[in-house]
Amino acid sequence: MIVLHVRTGQAAGHLDEHARSVWFGKLDARAKILGIFAFVIAAALLTDPVLVMCALACALVTALLSRLPPRHLAKAYLAALPFLAFASFSVFLFAGFERGISMLARTSACVIALLVLATGTDTFELFSGLRRLRVPGILTTLLMLTHRYLLLLSEELDRMRTARRARGFSGGRSLLDVQAFRVLSNTAGMLLVRSSGRADRIFEALKMRGFSKDMRPWRETRIAALDAAFMLALVAIAASLLLLQMEVFP
Amino acid sequence: MGIAEFVIVLGAVLLLTRKSLNEKDLPRVAILSAGIFVAQMVNFPIGGGTTGHLIGAALFAILVGPMLAMIGMTVVLIIQALMFGDGGITAFGLNALNMAIIAPLAGWGVYSLMDEILGKGLKSARIISVGIAAWASVFLAACAAAAELAVSYAISGGDFGIAATVSIPAMLGYHAVIGVGEAIITCGVVAYVWHVSPEFFIRAMRSSEPAPGWMHVARSIPVKAAFAILFVFALLVPLYFLYSSEGADGLERTISEAGVEEGEQVLAAPFSYGETYFGMFFAGLLGFVAVAMLALSVLRIFRREQTKSRGR
Repeated sequence: MIVLHVRTGQAAGHLDEHARSVWFGKLDARAKILGIFAFVIAAALLTDPVLVMCALACALVTALLSRLPPRHLAKAYLAALPFLAFASFSVFLFAGFERGISMLARTSACVIALLVLATGTDTFELFSGLRRLRVPGILTTLLMLTHRYLLLLSEELDRMRTARRARGFSGGRSLLDVQAFRVLSNTAGMLLVRSSGRADRIFEALKMRGFSKDMRPWRETRIAALDAAFMLALVAIAASLLLLQMEVFP
Repeated sequence: MGIAEFVIVLGAVLLLTRKSLNEKDLPRVAILSAGIFVAQMVNFPIGGGTTGHLIGAALFAILVGPMLAMIGMTVVLIIQALMFGDGGITAFGLNALNMAIIAPLAGWGVYSLMDEILGKGLKSARIISVGIAAWASVFLAACAAAAELAVSYAISGGDFGIAATVSIPAMLGYHAVIGVGEAIITCGVVAYVWHVSPEFFIRAMRSSEPAPGWMHVARSIPVKAAFAILFVFALLVPLYFLYSSEGADGLERTISEAGVEEGEQVLAAPFSYGETYFGMFFAGLLGFVAVAMLALSVLRIFRREQTKSRGR
């Protein structure tokens, strides 16, 4: 499952180039983060089925307007779908058909909005946007470093998996399969040991380049009229959805 | 509520670590977060063709200590939520509370306590305590998740979450089994790392300089561990209270406010005395065990101090 995520994530890595050329990618990261988060929080609080559908429609329209390649968005959405479907299905079983459907629509709206944000923004712009929104420096620095090494390590794991398969390992049968567990835990352990050795080298390399605990964003962008308009539009949509909901339940 | 709790705890952790965090540890925590993220892709067989995967919270906490593990797991979850749309931001608060706060704290606490009680330095004892800690971290996180689902079901009158009668047995049963796999793998990984590169553990083993009197007791690892466990229960118990007392009121209020039909009264079933009793009993039992372990470990430290001074 997560393998698929990283695969699509890898595709998104190439997308970063593409993201900069679309108008959505050129918006200021802070405006995008604030707008999308406002929308997601509002969408998650909706209970009225009609309003939930409205939120889903808004998310889809945003996805269309952003001009991001639909194929990538769809692939990433499909990767998240089993989780959404499972949650909605359990609601559907215990609270009825209508609530199950609105659960699916609600979670989909949130996920689609977030995917637009994630695929439509250069990853490091996203994290430095978070930093400029006063998220603690330790967190954003860690996010940047972790994201960078994620793909590296997943490729390493892939190579190890190939090597394992070449030696006749098929994945084991059950919790009682001692041999399988020995192989799997050695794989995970080796991954950690190798990455630890790598971490030391990375630290030295970073130190040479003047690394400090708090990596400050170096690209300074300003919030222009278009950014403000985008953010205000999303916030307005979120607020109006919530207000409509309040009127239904006085 | 969940996100508020999470932000408070994470803020406290960040404040505490800001001073002690070594610049050199930052790339290490980052790459370990990436390593844990990737290690989550290692599927293990459960039986009947199904597989589970590692969560790694206990492993992380045992390798780098609880504070850094909490930050690292948070980073892993943020990347999952932001990059891959997993879990989502709305569930993020509770999700992070379960997987980035409760799971590593519980894992580390149980590990340190067990290690102390079973006898320090023995290899088999360490492996056993690692296994129990890994199982406990998964199981307690699942407890929290089940309770949260039940509470949100009760408060929202069925719009969100899953009914307690369903969520608690389902989550706990499933995760009790998943936890076994997690325990085996974590044991294997720790044994492997211990065998191949023992210096990995230095951070976790490194203790502060001995301080005189009570400060020494307060700073020793088992007491910290017991506090970690008690803290986890302090986070969990309100959920049970909410679930047992407030939940019913919230449910009734929601029903009356929303003007829902009589048929919805079925929802009140989870809050019969039996369930409440179970919740309270469970919380009480676990709390008792934690306090007993705390007392035992304090006794043990004193005894060791005595023998040490006698030796001199």
